[in-house]
Amino acid sequence: MGKQKLLARLLSYKASFTLIVFVILLVVFQIFTTNHTFFKRENLYSLGRLAPDLGIVALGVGLLMICGEFDLSVASTIPTSSFVFVKLLGLGVPLWVNLIVTLCTGLIIGYCNGLLVTNTKLPSFIITLGTMMFWRGLLYASSRMMPIGIRAWLEPGSWLENLFAAPIGGVFPVQALWFLFFVILLGFILHFHRFGNWIFVIGDNQTAARAMGINTDMVKIVCYLIVGFLCSFMGMMQCLRIESFTANQGVGFELRAIASAVVGGTSLMGGIGSILGIFLGTITIQIIESGLILMGAPSFGINAFIGAAIILFAVLNKYITRYSSR
Amino acid sequence: MANEDFLVRMLDIHKYFGKVCALRAVDFEVEHGEIVGLVGDNGAGKSTLIKILSGFYTADRGETYFEGKKVKINTPKDAKALGIETVYQEQALAPHVSISRNVFMGREITKPFGILDRKQMHTESMKTIEKLGLRIKDPEAIVEALSGGQRQGVAIARVLYFKAKLVILDEPTIALSVKESQQVMDFMLQLRDEGISVIFITHNLYHAFQIAERFIVLSRGERLTDVKRKDTSIDHLSHLIITGLHEEKSH
Repeated sequence: MGKQKLLARLLSYKASFTLIVFVILLVVFQIFTTNHTFFKRENLYSLGRLAPDLGIVALGVGLLMICGEFDLSVASTIPTSSFVFVKLLGLGVPLWVNLIVTLCTGLIIGYCNGLLVTNTKLPSFIITLGTMMFWRGLLYASSRMMPIGIRAWLEPGSWLENLFAAPIGGVFPVQALWFLFFVILLGFILHFHRFGNWIFVIGDNQTAARAMGINTDMVKIVCYLIVGFLCSFMGMMQCLRIESFTANQGVGFELRAIASAVVGGTSLMGGIGSILGIFLGTITIQIIESGLILMGAPSFGINAFIGAAIILFAVLNKYITRYSSR
Repeated sequence: MANEDFLVRMLDIHKYFGKVCALRAVDFEVEHGEIVGLVGDNGAGKSTLIKILSGFYTADRGETYFEGKKVKINTPKDAKALGIETVYQEQALAPHVSISRNVFMGREITKPFGILDRKQMHTESMKTIEKLGLRIKDPEAIVEALSGGQRQGVAIARVLYFKAKLVILDEPTIALSVKESQQVMDFMLQLRDEGISVIFITHNLYHAFQIAERFIVLSRGERLTDVKRKDTSIDHLSHLIITGLHEEKSH
């Protein structure tokens, strides 16, 4: 294999491009932050605690995008699950029952989304925009938008908290471990399992997939279930970390998750993408955030930089695709 | 001839879409190892007939026999189980997915727990593509990077690998250059040499006449004729299609 071909091959994996930018960003931030604090333990620790929130959701959203569908309702699945979780804490339900019911919340919402999208054959963007507003409305009405702390019912140091929110050995954020777990699990399913092949071909050419006997509705519904599950998981994990339910958990996550997937090389039209890409995309976005804050950028204006970065990535991805398919 | 002598025999097929009659009392037969040209103008009912045979539609009336046995084909899966494969023009492949994943789309070779056996999929897909006389080296190349003729080759390799008994090609040459069309027609001859029957649906009588041994002409949902190549000519066929006149001979 010649050098030229090797390069084309490497670039044909869209994730490799995100990786390059990712590494450059790390170096730039390390150099330009005051006192070179980017690689300090405190910053890495807080990144490891916070980044998995968006990351876990983006993995599901990206998977679904590869299958050719969107899910905006993640923004509401997250706080709804968190709300169910604290309500059950208040009722004194055993923690393991609480865990199962909370995770089922997302599965139910995901199942509804899946059924609506596959039966109506309408664009999922519209359907899940509707379900997002529906669930959020219900949530605001039933919580009256009041935050609810968990400390009244849950003593610090419970097994649930150790499992989902406490640092391992006091140093390593357990959230990062869960994130990696889902990256490996979903990466395996998407790239090495039969089901993953179905996801790709449905996103790429649904007619062909159906003609080849793939049950496209079933595959899509399962993808929505995965997204719902991940949102519930993340909603509960976030609730344990911030020690309360707040009604505005998850606000904006629907588009940030899509942005992460796109930065990681996922196509908005379906059929193209990778778990590694989504993984890098989501950390890239959060590293930009964290790095800019450390460099002293005004924190309320951070969104402007992120927005510009997203457009830049999308444009670059387009040119990379052209180059590698030549 | 009796039902057993045909690979497929469809009798008295009717299909309505609302009040529109798409097919009226159509009979259709394919023998073992032959290439049948199914020709007719737009809206003649070719696609409807084929979609009934491949399980996308069900007939409102009529019977289908496969290898002499009466069958009900309700889904594409039923058709596949019988050994009927359809290659739709430009619709059979996922363009951004690799060749080997396309060949095995929906019927992946797996190890336990549904894990893809990539190595096996690579070697098998390359073996079959080679058998067709196509020269492609990299099973991981995405389909979008291939030429039109090569893409049809990949789709045909798929049906060859899965040992189809009947392959339906819906306008396989429509978007191709002259050279690529020739290549695709060679694929069809190759299929027949493997003992596979082929239904070749096309507008292009010149293409059909090169390789089909028998022609069935449809017009406005009815069968106009069923004629062997030696008993007809391109002019004759095109005259039939244009005028839409019945010429049904008794068998």
